[in-house]
Amino acid sequence: MTQTAERQMELTLPMVPDIEIAAARAAANLARELGMSSERVDEMTHAIIEACINAREHSGCADGRMYLRFVGTSAGDGNPRVDVWITDHGRGFDVSEARTRRQKLGAAHKRGWGLQIIEAHMDEVDITTSDDGTTIHMVKFEKKNHD
Amino acid sequence: MTEELRVAVERRNGGAVLYTRGYINNVGGEEIANRAYELMDDGVRALLLNLRDTKIVNSIGISILIEIIEKMMDSGGKIGFCCLTPVIHKTFQIMGLANYASIFDTEEAAVREMNLS
Repeated sequence: MTQTAERQMELTLPMVPDIEIAAARAAANLARELGMSSERVDEMTHAIIEACINAREHSGCADGRMYLRFVGTSAGDGNPRVDVWITDHGRGFDVSEARTRRQKLGAAHKRGWGLQIIEAHMDEVDITTSDDGTTIHMVKFEKKNHD
Repeated sequence: MTEELRVAVERRNGGAVLYTRGYINNVGGEEIANRAYELMDDGVRALLLNLRDTKIVNSIGISILIEIIEKMMDSGGKIGFCCLTPVIHKTFQIMGLANYASIFDTEEAAVREMNLS
């Protein structure tokens, strides 16, 4: 069955404190319109928050903006999906280093958990990063086994 | 747009329950820490954080909660959490907070286990 795009949204947001809430709420509204359950929406919301914080805190971009795109699709099979792209035009980062970073109680530096949280809460995560910026593409399904 | 965190404190049997409402980010985490450290300076060694009215957290806010746990552990006290949403519970587990603080489904269970009644 061919999937049909039912909802799309694009946002350009300034990198200011708490802007991640606006991004998360926009995506949550889209997901709810497609019938995604509240727990799945909450997981996606928390992943988007972490991705936006990473862009704001670490990208070092000159334009001070992040670019978001949400696409919600549903094939009428009760398993809607939401694709999220979050792009910054910053300096990029070392994905493998970020992915393997682990902190524990007692460590001097307790931050840097964003990517682990994103990957735990989303079903698919793909990161493209270079000196010209970073795009994180995340997918959330209503049902995890979406073969 | 922002959900400024509010914290209400209720003293209980030598300890205290902190009720949070709103987003636990860096600012919200610092607000909780300020209240917790005031209580610890006042001799409180059992703190329960009831997050029933908090639906969103971020990793920076949780890192501040971990700092509070460390200070409480250093002073021989204990911290518990209750009434977490499933996603917040999962996030606590990812960051390891669940390994160092007790997490309860309900305030009643927490109060009973932590002798705060």
